[in-house]
Amino acid sequence: MALKDYAKEIERCSACSYCKWIPFDHVKSWRFAKNCPSIDYYNFNNYSARGRYLTSRSILRDEVKITDEIIDIAHTCLTCGACDVSCKICRYNLEPLEMVRELKAELAAKGNYPEAHKVMLKNIKEEANIFGISRKRRGEWAEGLNIKDLTKEKAEVVFHAGCSYSYDKKLSGTVKTAVEILNNAGVDFGIMGDAEMCCGAKIHSMGHHSEFDRLAKANIALWKRAGVTTIVTACADGYHAFKRLYPELGSNFTVLHIVEYIDQLIREGKLTFSNEVPMTITYHDPCHLGRQGESYEAWEGEEQKYKNQIVVHSPKKPRYNGINGIYDEPRNILNAIPGIELREMERIREFSYCCGAGGGARESYPEYSQWVAGERLEEAKATGAETLVTACPWCKTNFTDSLGDNAGFSVVDILDLVRMAL
Amino acid sequence: MSLTDKQYQEFDAIVGKKNISRDPGILDGYRYNLSHTAIHLGPHFDVLTPRGISVLLPGSTEEVQAIVKLCNKYKIKYKPSSTFWSAQGYPSDDNTIVLDMRRMDRILDIDAKNMVAVVEPGVIGATLQAETIKVGLNCHIQGSGCSCSILAGAAAWLGSGPGNLYGGWQYENLLGTEWVLPTGEVLRTGSLGYHDNSWYCGEGPGPSMRGVMRGMFGTKGSMGVFTKCAVKLHAWPGPQQIPVYGKAPAYTTKLPDNFRAFTLAFPDWQAWADTAHLLWENGIGYAAHRQFNFLGRDLKWGMIQILTDADKTISDLDNLINEPGFKEANDSMKIDFQIILAGMTQRDFDWQKETLDEILSITGGYIVECMETENIRNYTLLYLLRLGHKALNLVYGGGYDGNFGLINAIDFGSQRAEEVGDFKREWEKKGQIVAGGGDCMMGPIGGQGGGGTGLWENFTCFDSADKNSTDGALAFFDASFEYTKSKGWSGCGFEKLNSMARGYDGYATPKEVRDQGHANSPFAPAFRYQAKVYRSVNSNDMGDAYYEILED
Ligand SMILES: Cc1cc2nc3c(=O)[nH]c(=O)nc-3n(C[C@H](O)[C@H](O)[C@H](O)COP(=O)(O)OP(=O)(O)OC[C@H]3O[C@@H](n4cnc5c(N)ncnc54)[C@H](O)[C@@H]3O)c2cc1C
Ligand code: SF4
Ligand code: SF4
Repeated sequence: MALKDYAKEIERCSACSYCKWIPFDHVKSWRFAKNCPSIDYYNFNNYSARGRYLTSRSILRDEVKITDEIIDIAHTCLTCGACDVSCKICRYNLEPLEMVRELKAELAAKGNYPEAHKVMLKNIKEEANIFGISRKRRGEWAEGLNIKDLTKEKAEVVFHAGCSYSYDKKLSGTVKTAVEILNNAGVDFGIMGDAEMCCGAKIHSMGHHSEFDRLAKANIALWKRAGVTTIVTACADGYHAFKRLYPELGSNFTVLHIVEYIDQLIREGKLTFSNEVPMTITYHDPCHLGRQGESYEAWEGEEQKYKNQIVVHSPKKPRYNGINGIYDEPRNILNAIPGIELREMERIREFSYCCGAGGGARESYPEYSQWVAGERLEEAKATGAETLVTACPWCKTNFTDSLGDNAGFSVVDILDLVRMAL
Repeated sequence: MSLTDKQYQEFDAIVGKKNISRDPGILDGYRYNLSHTAIHLGPHFDVLTPRGISVLLPGSTEEVQAIVKLCNKYKIKYKPSSTFWSAQGYPSDDNTIVLDMRRMDRILDIDAKNMVAVVEPGVIGATLQAETIKVGLNCHIQGSGCSCSILAGAAAWLGSGPGNLYGGWQYENLLGTEWVLPTGEVLRTGSLGYHDNSWYCGEGPGPSMRGVMRGMFGTKGSMGVFTKCAVKLHAWPGPQQIPVYGKAPAYTTKLPDNFRAFTLAFPDWQAWADTAHLLWENGIGYAAHRQFNFLGRDLKWGMIQILTDADKTISDLDNLINEPGFKEANDSMKIDFQIILAGMTQRDFDWQKETLDEILSITGGYIVECMETENIRNYTLLYLLRLGHKALNLVYGGGYDGNFGLINAIDFGSQRAEEVGDFKREWEKKGQIVAGGGDCMMGPIGGQGGGGTGLWENFTCFDSADKNSTDGALAFFDASFEYTKSKGWSGCGFEKLNSMARGYDGYATPKEVRDQGHANSPFAPAFRYQAKVYRSVNSNDMGDAYYEILED
């Protein structure tokens, strides 16, 4: 799809602003009722899905010049998808998240994107990661762990570490826990090491779709060559890419986030926790594991009118409204750890608030991105918890940076808690 | 038209550069697309309201005052809006500054003892209700739903909804108000006129300042800017937080036994109206609305099943209405409304329920069986209490407006309902509007000053992306208007109400057209009075055509 394919939707957006709030039924307070970080921060209507429909209209009709302001309108969208969930409370024929993605792509295709994107794209092209660190060092994190190299050996399962876990030394303990769990469970798995490529989720969310396709196809080819059937990752971005985006390009592997694996092991009695972890925590649902972690469903069909003017789809179109994401698994794990007290925030599950790292904003609009993380941390602290737990390295890093040396509160990956409890 | 650089800098100095823009890309985010609905105006395919010359996001009353004074100095119009849901909140002239009030969104006070909340324009129904129920009180949420500004509904528009039955129309709940007059001075109305912090009363000093300030239908952004107001709160005999269950969008609640939603239906309209009157006379009920009928008399049971089941989509409608048993269930609620009983105590609830049963036995009404599943009942309860699904008005094709709009006695509407439905059914046959079954009427049961009135709107849904459909809807609204006029049905013609202010091109209508419309209106005396108010506070003619005036 391209932006022009959303021309009808643009006319059908009814300017109701539901996309600026969590589903109203769930509003519990004035303080934590909003859902769209970009309009929260920038305030102009354009920085919401509703406004982005209007901006898209003007672009498609050539009624505005592409200014820096328009570039900001598009690229400050975190593609967190919160708008999508709220819009679909009442609408069955709009896809605001898809539209915003296409708005970014429309601009990106003509070179209209922030400076930081250029650097990331160059890094991806040259080193297959967004940081620009040598691709030869991608597998360093696994040195000494004795994990199969699937470019040379065979296994059922590939563990995809992703850019963040591969290169961020602060996260190496976390990723090692993931492989330790797989090892202990006797899973026949391996890694791609230096051959692994960035999943492409980030650049996809920045609108660079052809570059995403290149990476996705390369990863799919690697996996096919290695004969794997299952992809496991500990990164929410990667999970979303493999589960939702890759199938559009013909990928048909089973995709699991590590929390699904661990939850399954706990339920089967193959993993038990022996250590008490006396902590009061709250859990942050990563957007790409939660509402965007729903399975891809192939659909080919057309829009039709029913009863004269009701806009329907034939055959029935899959409805991604966030409810079938990965929410219970991480909570099951946390509840299985002795000593943990889980206190929920107001915005959770399908209407969770974003960490601020998505859509390339962490790199392009750092001040805003950090503000968003700070907003979420405020909500976390309001629960009375002392620790925010998440299941995504990007969320963790963004929160940790925003927190600074704020004593008395910490941010951890769910795998770190699992390690403490083992 | 555009602001000179000097003018722009002066406005920038008031709000700061983060809160001002004249980038056309930003300005286009503040244009209303008249293709989908405009609330009693369109639809006009492919027409947007005029582009403003700048958008400002003020953060305080002082900033609003400074902006308004500067606008007076340069004779630039301004248009304030709080959530921008309806076309009446957008510019209708070229030389207009858009005031987006969203940054002023604080709840300034919830005075539980005196049952008053003080809010800024950006406070919406959902956030205020979430906070007031924590102290055992509820706020009235207008029928447009909890996404709407509490202040806008109370001070600048009508504010009618299911809660009218217990909480009055929103404008009746309006107490003290802080009003930046069109000239830039601040007027504190009601009890604020006596003491700086007395929000408890909307009237006086002297004549009803509430009436002077609001006029007949609210000022609709044409008479200065309201920066704060107080609204009366009402008893909430429920928990401090509404528990929510289920999967989106089919969320439900479960409240204690002193709450319950019912769908009532009747053998004929007389029974319907008699029941509405008896509810009033006996003082029972917390909220009442003919709600789900907006989905169409012929379709509603199918749509209710879709809305209450997260796995279904609108594309399932055809299957559902062809299922065995559909017709029977659907027909069992042809002439219906939804009601919530909420007892202040369990005993009170039991008494209300007994009274309701007795009323139904007198009028021949009954509780609709298919709507009695726990899931549907609790969905209805949450729907009407929070009003968080009102964008469903636009569910079919993104376009809706109401014809046969009418504020009048309950009997007046109910006596004409079938005729109005038949009239619409004929138009549905042309294929341009959704064939919902003619009667798609929705509206509150009772309201206004203690009872008796209803507000009717026969929902007309269309595809806002399809010119054929919007043209058909417009032709239908024109025909409805003529029909009700030819019948001499006073108080009707709501479907064209705002077309007196804004024309087909999105711009303000010429004064002659407005004068003629206002002179022919049953409310002409009110508009003459409004002209006097206008002249006394709006000498520089800073507003737009939405405020109705009729010169002698
Ligand atoms: C789909 C739909 C359904 C609706 N259903 C109903 C209904 O059932 N019952 C009902 O009563 N109304 C209904 N309305 C109209 C509705 O009342 C108003 O849109 C709404 O109540 C006002 O709240 P808002 O947040 O939409 O206000 P806005 O869109 O912000 O503004 C509404 C009006 O108030 C003015 N205004 C806003 N803020 C200020 C301010 N601070 N100072 C001065 N003027 C201001 C604006 O200029 C505009 O004219 C409906 C509207 C729509 C679009
Ligand atoms: S995107 Fe959806 S929720 Fe937002 S204004 Fe449009 S219709 Fe409403
Ligand atoms: S995806 Fe997130 S940031 Fe982007 S418009 Fe939607 S809610 Fe806002």
